[in-house]
Amino acid sequence: MSGFGWAFARDFTLAWRHPGETLLTLAFFALVASLFPLGVGADPQLLARIGPGVIWVCALLAAFLSLPVLFASDYADGTLEQMVLSPHAMAGWVSGKIAAHWMISGLPLTLLSPLLALQFGLPADAIGVLMAALLLGTPVLSLLGAACAALTLGARGGGTLLALVALPLFVPVLVFGAGAAEAAAAGLSAAPHLSLLGAMLIVAAMGVPFAVAAAIRIAMD
Amino acid sequence: MDHQYYLWMSYGATAVALVAELVALRLGRSRALRTVNEERDLEAQD
Amino acid sequence: MNVFYFSSPSTFYRLAGAMAPWFFGLAVILAVAGLYVGFVQAPTDAVQGEVYRVIFIHVPAAWMSMFIYFVMACYGAVTLSFNTRLAAMMARALAPTGAMFTFVALWTGAFWGRPTWGTYWVWDARLTSELVLLFLYIGFIALANAFEDPRRGDRAAALLALIGVVNLPIIYFSVQWWNTLHQGSSVSFKGTSMHVTMLWGMLLMAFSFWMYAIGAALVRCRNIILDRERRTRWVRAMA
Repeated sequence: MSGFGWAFARDFTLAWRHPGETLLTLAFFALVASLFPLGVGADPQLLARIGPGVIWVCALLAAFLSLPVLFASDYADGTLEQMVLSPHAMAGWVSGKIAAHWMISGLPLTLLSPLLALQFGLPADAIGVLMAALLLGTPVLSLLGAACAALTLGARGGGTLLALVALPLFVPVLVFGAGAAEAAAAGLSAAPHLSLLGAMLIVAAMGVPFAVAAAIRIAMD
Repeated sequence: MDHQYYLWMSYGATAVALVAELVALRLGRSRALRTVNEERDLEAQD
Repeated sequence: MNVFYFSSPSTFYRLAGAMAPWFFGLAVILAVAGLYVGFVQAPTDAVQGEVYRVIFIHVPAAWMSMFIYFVMACYGAVTLSFNTRLAAMMARALAPTGAMFTFVALWTGAFWGRPTWGTYWVWDARLTSELVLLFLYIGFIALANAFEDPRRGDRAAALLALIGVVNLPIIYFSVQWWNTLHQGSSVSFKGTSMHVTMLWGMLLMAFSFWMYAIGAALVRCRNIILDRERRTRWVRAMA
């Protein structure tokens, strides 16, 4: 899987040299999550109840906002076309790009989530489950989001079209991810939710890169 | 009966949706034909 | 006869024009029969009274919303595999009708839920996935129309339809997987637990909606053909 290797290394190195984007995603995540207590009031019980859902929605929005950088700049300067013409299998280097994208968006979100969960007053075991759910779910968001970003390359309507296309596909991840943390907070087992998230991750990791490759080919013609 | 309201709203909304779709189909046809004729006339002027 | 004869827009245009009135006619006949069975023959429900008769619209509309999306995804697969134009046009023609049925299913479900459950809406598995299906339809239509080149829109939307088709089993099986407020399936291949006239009313209305959907899609496809092929000789000669 050398295609995966060089694509991952390239994208990760580029992001490492420009940490601003990652920090921006994290700042947006924390900022929007902080807006909710300001908006709905500081009742601790209410916040603890809506905490998992709010954090998940913020993770969705932050993941979605970081999607355009995945393909847009490479598409604009012709690098994407060069990658398509390379002898490596497309699914391989596409997976590498998506993995690098997750490392700079989904993974930092997951690592920051305990702080936000504490802000919302979630109990300790719920925080652990929330992190596990985000760890399983954010890669799925990166994968599905990459497919939508590839489909909307160069389209009119820009970000709102990407939102309309991507957010409905994100909904199952949101439902099970937030459900896992809510179940843990209520004292129930989150195992079913986490298993379903894991299953989604496996299916998405195996299938979505091929869909992304097909979408890029459609965009290239 | 109260329930008549819910039945009327349901069947009524369905009827409205069906009529709206059929009207939209008619309008779509006239718009398509108008576009065809306009482009043909424009090209005839060249 | 060459099976691909009708895959050319010009021949399909004439075929669709000839067929559509028959489908609309069938739809009307089946709807009259279905509503007769549903309102005259089917008895009053012991628990819900008369309001249950919304089922004769709600369930057929929900079935059609899922079925049309599935057919759209199939046309999408044909578009991507064979790079044809007409399959993509049929997919585009189906989408608004599918969205309409999804909206009707959600609306009638809300007006059935209010008197029976006490609420217009609840975020349970089936209602949520049906709402997501509505957004999938809207996303399909938006994506297909988002490009200068209509062929690019055809293929992008086709791929999106295939990605979204995963949602369909989730809607269909959601009622079995989660014990939630929405009623479980009363109709399956093994038999049904509902009164036979209610079942017949539902089936007749379902077939009526199916015939209507085919007719509407054929007519809309004709409009799309006129627009896409507007520079060809046969369209200009006819307009």
